[in-house]
Amino acid sequence: MRVPNSELLTLVDVTKRFGTTQALSPTSLSIERGSFVSIVGPSGCGKSTLFNILSGLLLPDGGEVAVGGKSVVGSTGHAGYMLQKDLLVPWRTVLGNITLGAALTGRVTEEDRRQATSFATRYGLGDFLRHYPGSLSGGMRQRVALMRTLALNTELLLLDEPFGALDAQTRFEMQQWLLSVWRDSQRTVLFITHDVDEAVFLSDRVLVMSPRPGRIVDDVEVAITRPRTLATLTETDFTTIKARILRQLHRDAESLS
Amino acid sequence: MNRFKIFRNLVVPVISFSALIGLWELIILWGHVQGYLAPTPLAAWEAISSNWSTLWPLTSWTIKETVWGFGAGAVIGILFGVLMSKLRFLQRSLYPVLVVTQAVPIVAIASPLVLLMGFNLGPKVVIVAWIVFFPVTVNVLDGLNHVDHDLITLARVLGARPWRTFFLIEVPATITPLFSGLKIGATYAVTGAVIGEMAASSGQSLALYQHTQIGQLNSAGVYGTTILMTAIGMSWFLLMITLEHLCTPWLRRSVARRWSRGARTLDNTYVVKGAK
Ligand SMILES: Nc1ncnc2c1ncn2[C@@H]1O[C@H](COP(=O)(O)OP(=O)(O)OP(=O)(O)O)[C@@H](O)[C@H]1O
Ligand SMILES: [Mg+2]
Repeated sequence: MRVPNSELLTLVDVTKRFGTTQALSPTSLSIERGSFVSIVGPSGCGKSTLFNILSGLLLPDGGEVAVGGKSVVGSTGHAGYMLQKDLLVPWRTVLGNITLGAALTGRVTEEDRRQATSFATRYGLGDFLRHYPGSLSGGMRQRVALMRTLALNTELLLLDEPFGALDAQTRFEMQQWLLSVWRDSQRTVLFITHDVDEAVFLSDRVLVMSPRPGRIVDDVEVAITRPRTLATLTETDFTTIKARILRQLHRDAESLS
Repeated sequence: MNRFKIFRNLVVPVISFSALIGLWELIILWGHVQGYLAPTPLAAWEAISSNWSTLWPLTSWTIKETVWGFGAGAVIGILFGVLMSKLRFLQRSLYPVLVVTQAVPIVAIASPLVLLMGFNLGPKVVIVAWIVFFPVTVNVLDGLNHVDHDLITLARVLGARPWRTFFLIEVPATITPLFSGLKIGATYAVTGAVIGEMAASSGQSLALYQHTQIGQLNSAGVYGTTILMTAIGMSWFLLMITLEHLCTPWLRRSVARRWSRGARTLDNTYVVKGAK
């Protein structure tokens, strides 16, 4: 039994259609405070659409979205949303990009700069604060985009394929880094990925979505102790869960043809 | 800037410019062109320097017309561009009118303006502004209409207030097109001023001075005046390029300058403390 107030995010029968495309069929879901939940699913199944609704960018056609018990349908600012692209602003430095949220909503205070600096220093970008994004590598850009999302200081983080464009090596480093950020900052993370390994490795829970019309077809608990290491990837617990998710995805792919 | 870039950006233009003047000199000398038809560059230069005390007040007058007209044109152009990008109905209704203003021959505007405003600075400033505002409007409007839509979405995600998005996202994204408009305007500005002077001159002006030189068959004076007019236009253009460089450091630099606002505070406090 879950204690009601331990739930940060609740969705009830949220739907969305674009013209004749049913992007999201009625979806209900609740996410616990402090958990790390991944969403996997084939391309075009409505994962980004779900995030757009959760963040308030998009109005659902029906249903209810609540964060901390309060309805947030159509309002922004309650979630830190990292979009599928890193989208750094080219004319702002790394520091300026991390503090962009503050600049757009109010004033960038000394405290904002201090926080941004400490993020950057702690997570390996301390020497790049005055750099423009044009001179950063892909991994560095992703990290800046993630820090910008963190700097909003929202409890809920929505990360849409943050590591999609990275090579395996950088990706693994970034996953470690994200886990350390998550541990340090006590946030609740919703994480979209195409990579089942990544989903299982990072998460407490993995949601599997089906192709259009998108809906959640499986909800898998990942009861593997943390911290997880490279060795985790070959443990039987890990591979069993992974096989279950792959079977779900695969079945959906088969039913398409 | 590294050595290669200095060479490319400064030395090469100077060489091609010198080559042009050299060619001019050679054509006059080898072609045995009569002095009253066309002067050598040197003669033109002497016509400027020996008459400097007469020419300088005229030149500064033309500069004044150019500066005021350009300033007014730029401000009006930016205003139109911004308003039209924000208000669609204005874009639909005003844009065709603005195009019409540019179809009117500029010489034909000069005389009505003289009737309205007399022979002073007024008509020249209006003519220059009339020419300058259009490329500025078109470029600013285009720039604002093509700001990366994802960046606007990003601003929304971050909870931005609308006018913050405008100043922090849309304006910086439009700097490059804005300066394209300003650079075109800068090259046309002097043309406008001189047309104004021809049509509506009160006694003294560069255009009128050139006219009297023609009457005296003083080709050196005629060419000298042209060189002065050209120099005003070129300086103005160079000023725009310099401003553009100063306004868009991220296009050429990988690290922001020390004197940029946020960076200074950082240098003084956190980075020093946080250094390993
Ligand atoms: N603004 C829109 N207008 C029309 N259709 C849209 C719009 N946004 C998304 N769709 C459609 O909704 C469906 C779901 O899109 P969505 O972007 O949520 O997929 P996704 O699961 O994030 O895919 P990917 O993994 O490729 O990012 C797709 O079929 C897409 O074409
Ligand atoms: Mg997507």
